[in-house]
Amino acid sequence: METPMREPTFLILAALAAQPLHGYGLIAEVARLSDGRVSLRPGTLYGALDRLLDAGVVTVEREEVVDSRLRRYYQLSERGADLLTSETERMRRNVEAATARLSTRARPGTPRLGGGLA
Amino acid sequence: MNPLERRYLRLVRLCYPAGYRDERGTEIVGTYLALSSPQRRWPSPADVADLAAAGLRQHLRAGRATDIGAGLQLAAVLALATATALAAGWTMLELNPWRMAWLGFEQHGAAVSPGIAVWAAWLLPAAVQAMAPGRWTRLTIGLALTITVAVVPVAAALHQQRPPVFVLLAQVCLGLVALGLPGRPPRWQRLLPFTPAAVALLGAVVVARYGGDGYYGWPAGHVLPGAGAALLVLTLLVAVRLVARNDLRGGWALLALLGPIGVLCAHPLAAQLAVAWYGYGPNADTAMLTAAVTIVMVTVATAVLVALVVRRRLGTRAARSGS
Repeated sequence: METPMREPTFLILAALAAQPLHGYGLIAEVARLSDGRVSLRPGTLYGALDRLLDAGVVTVEREEVVDSRLRRYYQLSERGADLLTSETERMRRNVEAATARLSTRARPGTPRLGGGLA
Repeated sequence: MNPLERRYLRLVRLCYPAGYRDERGTEIVGTYLALSSPQRRWPSPADVADLAAAGLRQHLRAGRATDIGAGLQLAAVLALATATALAAGWTMLELNPWRMAWLGFEQHGAAVSPGIAVWAAWLLPAAVQAMAPGRWTRLTIGLALTITVAVVPVAAALHQQRPPVFVLLAQVCLGLVALGLPGRPPRWQRLLPFTPAAVALLGAVVVARYGGDGYYGWPAGHVLPGAGAALLVLTLLVAVRLVARNDLRGGWALLALLGPIGVLCAHPLAAQLAVAWYGYGPNADTAMLTAAVTIVMVTVATAVLVALVVRRRLGTRAARSGS
């Protein structure tokens, strides 16, 4: 699994962190986690799930038949949980570093402590 | 089953390979139906595009042709190096300090043709690739492609001579393949185009100094096919070396470069066609050049399709045998 992780992949893993979800539930949860910014379509979602299944990051928790159509519930594997944790930690460190530097950035109109013309 | 479900199922049957359809088809359709409003009767254009793209990815995945992307990137690196080398050589011929008469006369007091703008545009991507690879390089390649195509109507409107179409077409073919450059190439790939460009420049100095008649004649009959042969040999060497490490991207790179290589050799092919068709020559006129390029494109397209089908069948067989 490549790092840094792409945002849709990260959101899929984050959505599965709390509970197993089926396809529609995953799309809805990803949209909720991203405040509507990331809108997955089923074709794209199942392609991503196939890659995550191959990588052992996600597993199928159960299957059921609804209206003659198959519905699978996906869950995060242990390996997936570790991957999500390490990726979250990486992003948290980046956010902390950026936040620290932004806090020391001088704002326009802020009096300087020294230098400049008299 | 309602009409919307039937239509989604039809799309899934159309887009996905058979095995994947059986495994996932109803699951995918069920998700689309869950997302659709009760009034919807037809899949949306976005749904159609999503299914088509996902189906194509699954076809490639099923055929284990996932090394195609790496092969296209390798082809792009070699294509850019060749395009840069040719541009350096043509620039030298345009700016010939020994004042080689360009097609027998100077144009409106200028000693160069509008082709100089084309070749300058083709030298830019190599410089950008060295400093800011990725998106900026692809933008400059796009710019060079646009200028190359535009020089034909612009030169006609200004009543000026320009590089011949078979020279421009070869550059366009190389440029289209070069658009597949990787986003973060290693340092040696970023600097690669400069070496063949320097070699081409030296060769062009010799040609310009000791005579020559512009794009036609010796450059058409020898330089372009020579560049094509060099590109073919280099790609074969790289492919053989990679195959030894069980890496098939060299083969895909060769397939991607067959088009540009063929177009680089279009002029001598057209000359032979002219001899066969007219019974005399060789004079590669527009009709014979068009025929030669058509033969090249059909051959390349057939080779690519056959390679994809063979690759997919081998991949399916390997999957069934559990290897």
